[in-house]
Amino acid sequence: MEGLMGSYFTPAVPMDFGYNYRLGAYLERYLDGLKEKKILGVRCSGCGKVLVPPRMYCGGCRLRLEEWVELGTEGELVEFTVGHVSMSKGRLSQAEPFTIGLVRPDGAALPLLARIRGADPAALRPGMRMRAVWDPDAENEYLVLSHYEPA
Amino acid sequence: MDDKVAIVGIEYSQGDDLGLTRERLCFRTVRGVLDKLGIDRHAIDCFILASNDFLEGRTISNVFEDGPVGAYLKDETKVEMDGINAVVYGALRILEGNYDTAMVIAHSLCGHQVSPYLQVQYSLDPTYDRQLGLLNELSGAALQARAYLRSRGLDEGWLDRAAAAALANGAANDMVTRSLDGADESKVASSSYLYEPLREMHCYPPTDGACAIVLASAGRARELTDRPVWIRGFGSSIDSYYFAGRDLTRSASAADAARRAFAMAGISDPASEIGLAEVSDLFAYQAPLLAASMGLADADEAPRRFAEGGFGKDARLALNPSGGALSAHPVCATGAVRVAEAFRQLRGEAGAVQAGEPRLALAHGQDGLCLQQNTVVVLGI
Repeated sequence: MEGLMGSYFTPAVPMDFGYNYRLGAYLERYLDGLKEKKILGVRCSGCGKVLVPPRMYCGGCRLRLEEWVELGTEGELVEFTVGHVSMSKGRLSQAEPFTIGLVRPDGAALPLLARIRGADPAALRPGMRMRAVWDPDAENEYLVLSHYEPA
Repeated sequence: MDDKVAIVGIEYSQGDDLGLTRERLCFRTVRGVLDKLGIDRHAIDCFILASNDFLEGRTISNVFEDGPVGAYLKDETKVEMDGINAVVYGALRILEGNYDTAMVIAHSLCGHQVSPYLQVQYSLDPTYDRQLGLLNELSGAALQARAYLRSRGLDEGWLDRAAAAALANGAANDMVTRSLDGADESKVASSSYLYEPLREMHCYPPTDGACAIVLASAGRARELTDRPVWIRGFGSSIDSYYFAGRDLTRSASAADAARRAFAMAGISDPASEIGLAEVSDLFAYQAPLLAASMGLADADEAPRRFAEGGFGKDARLALNPSGGALSAHPVCATGAVRVAEAFRQLRGEAGAVQAGEPRLALAHGQDGLCLQQNTVVVLGI
């Protein structure tokens, strides 16, 4: 997929606009937790699973989730991939290889998708112990949980 | 389901750049199927469009297509999903009794107009996944590919062979975006990594395409053609929005959709009763994953057999003799094209890709990230 082209036959019509979404109480509390180096989930009173990132309802049980739980900052690698491209607004661009993976924090039923650093991808295996690395000065709240590295 | 709703005509085209405006493409496709049936737009009771406003770059984009497809002053509705859901919607409208004919038109121009990845990227949660910027259609598929390979004890070489087998099928089809003469896995293996283990040729090619399908009630179908293809059953199912919580090594929603379709069609043993399946395999690992999830093949055996060409034209189950979505993926039209391919096969009109004389066929379409939503239609002659 090439970028937008400007020619008589294919006039490029860029669309670029911003949305200011409200996060809602659950994600706001999750991001506040990250600032204190805490990963917060919510436990379902039906199935007992702790969901992360936290959400208001358990899809499986259709129950409202009320019980907040502090999860481990260590966890288990579930799966990973090495990216050679990045995608922005649907367009691919070449990137220096980087690793992302699904890491299930201790105590959680679901994994988080996160950057993986400090590890040779060839040495990564599902089930490996990982630990969260924090960046209090990150450019936005989401990146305060900077990445995971092998524990 | 007995002989209640039939498909009576199809027309489709797809390629990397059809060189047409979307209006001209829609007009040409509809004109094609009307001419095949020897009717005009007044013979059509309702029109159902399948396209995506995001990919068109206009809101309510279907209103600008009503002229080209001949839907003006007619009943027209739109499905903002894969076109196979418009086929199901059309069948339901006829079953409901208010309409005797329905025209489905599905299309997109992702070959050159806009990135095909936009649709999934902008379906992600804007307050979380899009803020992190790590998840997209390709990185999600790569995680699913890894999980599938691991669960079945396969290596990346298998992905190369599976893609080569699919693309070799596409070589016999004159309407694909990408194909390989012979199952040449070295060409696949030398294509660039996108997200490991997925290389460029393990992933669908950006494609332009449109597909028109005419459905009719039993009485009207027999007036329009002497070889109606009957819709025997259909089913759809959607899994959790949060892909990280799903078992990525199979598709629970594909299994559920197929189970519903088979129950409606009175099929108890799909693996022995279905002779042809056309599935929307956007990535090289998906055809065997889907076939196994839907009960068409054994989960352990399916991947190796698929990569060895064991689901070819002469096999008891022919799987994607057209080349499938890996050969051409016109977003929104891909599942409708699978229905059109099944129609051609059941009528013995598939030419170089004809796979014996199937009597019962399955067509599959998907939407969302990592096979989240699946729809299955069973067709018979």
